[in-house]
Amino acid sequence: MKSFTIMRNVLWRIARDRRTLFLIVLLPLFFVLLYGNSFSGSFRNLPIVIVNQDNGLASVRVKNADRITLAVNLAAAFVANLDSDTFDITFSEDADGAASAVAEHEVWAALVFPQNFSHAVVNEALQQSGERTAEVDGQTVTLLPSVVIEGPSTVLTLDDGNPLIADAIITSFAASFAAVLGTQQASLTPESLLEVHPLYGGDIRMLDFTAPGIIGFALTLITVLLTAMAVVRERTSGTLTRILIAPIRAWEVSIGYTLAFSTVALVQAAELFLASALLFDIRFVGSAAIVAVIVIVFTVGLQGIATLISTVSKNEAQAMQLVLFLLIPAIMISGVFWPLETMPATIRPLAYISPLTYANGALRKVMLTGQGWADIALELAVLAGIAVVMLVLSILMMRRQAFSA
Amino acid sequence: MATEAVIRATGLRKTFRTRVALDGLDLAVEQGRLYGLAGPNGAGKTTLIRTLCGLLRPDEGEARLLGWQMPSVRVRSQLGYMPQDFAVYDDLTVLENLEFFGGLYDLSRKQIRERAGELLDLVDLSDRRDEKTGTLSGGMRRRVSLAISLLHKPRLAFLDEPTAGVDPKLRRSFWDHFSRLSEQGVTLVVTTHLVEEALRCDVVGFLSQGRLLIQGSPTEILQQTGTETLDDAFIVLQDRGELTR
Repeated sequence: MKSFTIMRNVLWRIARDRRTLFLIVLLPLFFVLLYGNSFSGSFRNLPIVIVNQDNGLASVRVKNADRITLAVNLAAAFVANLDSDTFDITFSEDADGAASAVAEHEVWAALVFPQNFSHAVVNEALQQSGERTAEVDGQTVTLLPSVVIEGPSTVLTLDDGNPLIADAIITSFAASFAAVLGTQQASLTPESLLEVHPLYGGDIRMLDFTAPGIIGFALTLITVLLTAMAVVRERTSGTLTRILIAPIRAWEVSIGYTLAFSTVALVQAAELFLASALLFDIRFVGSAAIVAVIVIVFTVGLQGIATLISTVSKNEAQAMQLVLFLLIPAIMISGVFWPLETMPATIRPLAYISPLTYANGALRKVMLTGQGWADIALELAVLAGIAVVMLVLSILMMRRQAFSA
Repeated sequence: MATEAVIRATGLRKTFRTRVALDGLDLAVEQGRLYGLAGPNGAGKTTLIRTLCGLLRPDEGEARLLGWQMPSVRVRSQLGYMPQDFAVYDDLTVLENLEFFGGLYDLSRKQIRERAGELLDLVDLSDRRDEKTGTLSGGMRRRVSLAISLLHKPRLAFLDEPTAGVDPKLRRSFWDHFSRLSEQGVTLVVTTHLVEEALRCDVVGFLSQGRLLIQGSPTEILQQTGTETLDDAFIVLQDRGELTR
């Protein structure tokens, strides 16, 4: 059978190509490490504000006694039960200020306990159970039946721009309430105690949340592959030599490539955004002009990266492998699916060198929550920095290509 | 000075890993000369041309074209280079290839059109001008490549095996054109394996193992090697080159 001759030839040529061999062996391990690391983390240090106006339990009658004032502050007990690793808690007196801190994206959530919180919780518990006594924080209390109190409503202003974080906060709060109330108060669900005010009306689906990152990733993949392939082919076919021996500067060549592929990227971006909006009703509440600027700055940087990849690749196959080697991890670590906040500190620095992290962050802010120039200034500045550095590097490499072509 | 050297290389040395491609090579070519570069495969002809054009940096020595030390941007508009591979865009038509590369030189659209017409006549591809280059035969693509290299009327051109795969009739008309260019003062360096081509050169240099073994007019080479034909001379030289190694 000649199939073995073919097989031997293919394997032998792979074995000869050191870089391919290296990638074949390393790539699977690399992916597993990245996947495991980016997926395994939990949220840490989420900034929240708590306004505790709860006066605690007062004026209760304890079994076999007349009246007693219990120094029980259920709100404080709730706070004490929150996981200190998950949250970075700031306490405030100002309920309005806390809510606006959420709107300003300074904190993820603001939780305001009303003055009568403890009292109302106990009242509610007794009314629902139809009994006169309740177990609260280890003590049996009986409430005066004559005292009628408006239902306990803890106002949670929540930034639901990131549905993952929003869900995590609610789950965590509910768990803390459950712990404070104890198993006896099964009738009093944590959900009934929380009056959630989502910043974006709870309209942001997981689909909306991941869309900007996926679009960014699609753009990255297409732009980088297209550019790297084109430059490699230009070199291997000899036409690059012909261009570089003409009276043209290396920067003119690089800028020319950048202009061409930026045009392509813009068309593709428009198609990606339009198709997402029309077919899947992806949330897009911000300015299209800002998105266009993000896309341009982002893709210019990508082309620089692509040119660099092409200069270190001997042929199209190597370029393709390098592209995949760099890009597949990018989508894992750039906060597209799993928020940066959950990422272990060991690989978080990788996220911060990935342009997709900033593109995703900026696109999300504009598309999901309609934020403006000032809010994405940092992301845009980093993307612009990457674009400039990559463009300069690609020009230098282009100059060098002339000598290695 | 009427006979100023437009190509001057001194002590060029270039190694690829352990293989010595250029071994301290000196070369001077005067303006308007049709210089034939001969030598066995792997003698260093292409490396020499690429180094002279500034596409490779020599490890030692220097190359000067038109007085400028290479690599230099200044000579590029007057420099023609035809690489050994086709170096054309297969997905563009013949004319589109010419127009693109012409556009890299400071030629107007009209000039490019005119020159493209002339050169397509020379390489006998006028009737194929609107065909995709990729669909042409190897010899035809080489002809497109030659046309591109001469489009901007270079003062100095390096042609790396311009007639490989080209049929005898067209090969002869190429060489007629080279002679005409040389009479007009264009300096040409052409690599070749063919004795009949070498015979048409003003000066022939024989390269072996990165060194210029001999240089002179075809008659001078016959005298110096004491052979009857240039064929014999090349064989003698090749043997000599291998012996001195």
